[in-house]
Amino acid sequence: METNLVIEGLKFMVLGMGTVLIFLVVLIVLMNLQTKIIERFFPEPKGAPDTPNASPGTPQKDTKKIVAAISAAIMHHKA
Amino acid sequence: MKIFLLSIVSVFMLMTSAYAGGHAAAEPLSAHQEEDYEAKGMGEMIGNFFASTGIVALVSPDENELSSHGEPMSDFHKGLGRVIMILITFLLFWLAIKKGFEPLLLLPIGFGGLLANIPIAGISGPDGFLGVLYEAGLANQLFPILIFMGVGAMTDFGPLLANPKTALLGGAAQFGIFGTLVGAVALSEYTTLFDFTIKQASAISIIGGADGPTSIFIASALAPELLGAIAVASYSYMAMVPIIQPPIMKALTTDEERKIKMVTLRQVSRLEKLVFPIMVLTLAILVLPEATPLIGAFMFGNFLKVSGVVDRLSDTMENALINIITIFLGLAVGSKLSADQFLVADTLAILALGIVAFSAGTAAGVIMAKIMNKFPGTKINPLIGSAGVSAVPMAARVSNKVGMEYDRSNILLMHAMGPNVAGVIGSAVAAGVLLSIFS
Repeated sequence: METNLVIEGLKFMVLGMGTVLIFLVVLIVLMNLQTKIIERFFPEPKGAPDTPNASPGTPQKDTKKIVAAISAAIMHHKA
Repeated sequence: MKIFLLSIVSVFMLMTSAYAGGHAAAEPLSAHQEEDYEAKGMGEMIGNFFASTGIVALVSPDENELSSHGEPMSDFHKGLGRVIMILITFLLFWLAIKKGFEPLLLLPIGFGGLLANIPIAGISGPDGFLGVLYEAGLANQLFPILIFMGVGAMTDFGPLLANPKTALLGGAAQFGIFGTLVGAVALSEYTTLFDFTIKQASAISIIGGADGPTSIFIASALAPELLGAIAVASYSYMAMVPIIQPPIMKALTTDEERKIKMVTLRQVSRLEKLVFPIMVLTLAILVLPEATPLIGAFMFGNFLKVSGVVDRLSDTMENALINIITIFLGLAVGSKLSADQFLVADTLAILALGIVAFSAGTAAGVIMAKIMNKFPGTKINPLIGSAGVSAVPMAARVSNKVGMEYDRSNILLMHAMGPNVAGVIGSAVAAGVLLSIFS
């Protein structure tokens, strides 16, 4: 008996579309599950963490200036 | 003028003597070789040289010349056919440069085709550099896999993870592949229009997956003799997505549906993006190992990118590596554009079936979105359904553009990226199914 190629093609279609759709449906279920698990157990820290010494540059500079002024005054006084 | 003529004659003499010298070198050798060079008359030399020019080879082809497969060719394929093919490659250049159709691929493919149609030189033959490239990377499917790696490194699965159900659209669009497969075998069976075997029909219909590397991967596995036409059809239709898709999308949707606004996508955490490639690959390992070369390479590229610790490698993949492979792949595909393989009736049939496959995939994606809207849940704008036919990111941009035509404030781009990347996975799965059937 000669094989009917059209029937073969239809079989391919059922198998192919079936596999693709089932694959993606399982993927969707897994994605939703994954999101739930990750949000429940490994939540992203909200916002950037607070940095206590956010701008250390300016006060340090000021201290240096003050030190310089004081030492200049002392020098002046000694002289 | 005299000097010019003299120099031409001397170049002729040099060339002919080099030719004779080449033959002498093939003789068994001792340190002191007997020169078997015989003095020839100037007239004879010029005559011989003239016989070796391209003009003569094109006008009156050598009877004994064989194709790159070592098979005899018809006179048409040796002469006029080559001229026609060279003109076709010029058309590809024009499309790429003037029209901006996928120039990254059409230019290497076109130039490869130009080189492959040169008589005598045998560039696409087993010893020519195009032939060597073909054997090195296309015959064994290496290049498409490497391209997939780079594409993986460029892909962002964020939009898909933010709205997982849009993956169904990418699945539905694969109907283009299988619908065309049935159509092609039906036409081969009941009409005399085509005469494709079921393997060839499968290789052709994968054009509907709208994914260049996948098409090449499948074509070189199932029907290498059709590779050139399939690759050219696949890439040219992908370039024409902005022309092919909108009429289909508009015909299948109502004005109201096109104006549906979608909920803004949530932020996706890095961990989710990191788990996703591994999850898809695991699923592929369990369900369909045949698809893992493609999906594995794809997810490898993506995993390195989202890991965030090997930027050097992921940068290389998405830039340097994919560019190099694109050059090689394009040239190797071009080597299949030789007249004896391309100028056959099958090519027209492949071009026709390819566009049917593409359109069917687009329509199936849009219809799937409409079906999904019948169910409860957040509504989907059916215009993003068309993006299910991979062709990243062109198809997503088309969805966005058509959406903006009806409502300027409706930005669909990111929503369409979800089905778009799902379409890539869907095509790879479909390819795996086809491979597993024939293995």
